Amino acid sequence: MPARSTRSERTRSAWLMADGIAFKLVTPARVVFDGEATLVIAVTTEGEEGILPKHAPFLAALKPGILRANLLKNGASSRLELATSEGFMQALPDRVTVLVDEALAFDDVVVAEARDRLAAATERQKGAAAGSDAYAREQAAIDFASAQLRLTGHR
Amino acid sequence: MPSVRDLRDRIRSLKNTQQITKAMKQVAAAKIRRAEEARKRARPYADALAEMLADLMAAVSSVDHPFMKPGNASAPAGIVLMSADKGLAGAFNSNVIHAGETFARGRSGVRYYTVGLKARNAVRRMGVSEHPTWPLGASKIATAREIASRTADDFVHGTISEIVLVSQKLVSMMSQRPETRKLVPVLAEDLKAFAATGGEEQTRAARGAVEFSPSPEFVLSRLLPKYLEFTIYSAMLETEAAFFAAQLVAMTNATDNASKLIDELTIAMNNARQAAITKELLEIVGGAEALGVE
Repeated sequence: MPARSTRSERTRSAWLMADGIAFKLVTPARVVFDGEATLVIAVTTEGEEGILPKHAPFLAALKPGILRANLLKNGASSRLELATSEGFMQALPDRVTVLVDEALAFDDVVVAEARDRLAAATERQKGAAAGSDAYAREQAAIDFASAQLRLTGHR
Repeated sequence: MPSVRDLRDRIRSLKNTQQITKAMKQVAAAKIRRAEEARKRARPYADALAEMLADLMAAVSSVDHPFMKPGNASAPAGIVLMSADKGLAGAFNSNVIHAGETFARGRSGVRYYTVGLKARNAVRRMGVSEHPTWPLGASKIATAREIASRTADDFVHGTISEIVLVSQKLVSMMSQRPETRKLVPVLAEDLKAFAATGGEEQTRAARGAVEFSPSPEFVLSRLLPKYLEFTIYSAMLETEAAFFAAQLVAMTNATDNASKLIDELTIAMNNARQAAITKELLEIVGGAEALGVE
């Protein structure tokens, strides 16, 4: 019979939620993150969705926004925050896969560039008919640029 | 018979050419490796996309998306013709351009979208000066997105009846073959074949019901354009890898041919030099005899 765990150990593991989930974030260009997480929060088209381990099979379309995750590495937890463009999130009981065109970390964001993109997309959107594909495309560009600015604390 | 000096000049220029081809061969070899790495980096995305698509295909019985419906039959076919930006790779570019022309001949009308400067120039030579064109080299992801949205818009608005991709396939390092693929309207079989590359059929069956947010139809309508984008992106990566493979072969052949020519010319030059020496000797001996020198 295995030795009973001490109270402090149990508390600690509950605190860390030691059972993580395999989390993978990929773009066409590279694998941005591949590791373990205890929580993944992404912005779906229906609003923010948090994924904990043992989630029921789930597949959602993502809006550009800020993706947050609590990572678990060698028992220590850390936080991941990325500005992501449009994509998809697939959750299974043992893993979460996020598929996006682009994922930028704090250091990857060029603020001036994001500002320019935001202004340019806003300008172009004015010329597009509401509800058209072009309109939606510019909206996605606007959302991605403003997610980058929010991530870097500029808005 | 060419003079010794002519031959020497030709050998010198051939050696220069050989140095260039040898350098280009080495550069191509290094660039293949880079291009192959880029393709490998795109692999996880393809796998994840395929897996999601498999879940969706299992959940959606009939797909109501413009990409899955036949296009405007009276419109010309849209051809995305993909070549490299540069030449010096044997018949690499002309083969793919030829494949595009062959396809176009079977259609009553076509509208070209070119990727790569060589394809652009070829289509311009056909007399189509104004057409959407992109270089292959620069930021491929952004370019692929533009090509996908441009062609998709034209398809949805009925400007073109279908989207066909003509590009080089990297069969092996030694062989590249032009391939003509119909991208849109998307055939359900093509989607299923792509989805099957995601693997893990059994675990999927055990997975049971998947919850979609907001609905499988909506997610699929978002995923199909991404599938088009990614197909174009990976074709661009493959074209680049195939181009360097073709260039490596072409430059290896060029270097070998230069060696062979240099050897032949060197022998010819040696013969010519020897002939000149013999001739001079004969002249001296003949002259001496005529003068009666003993």
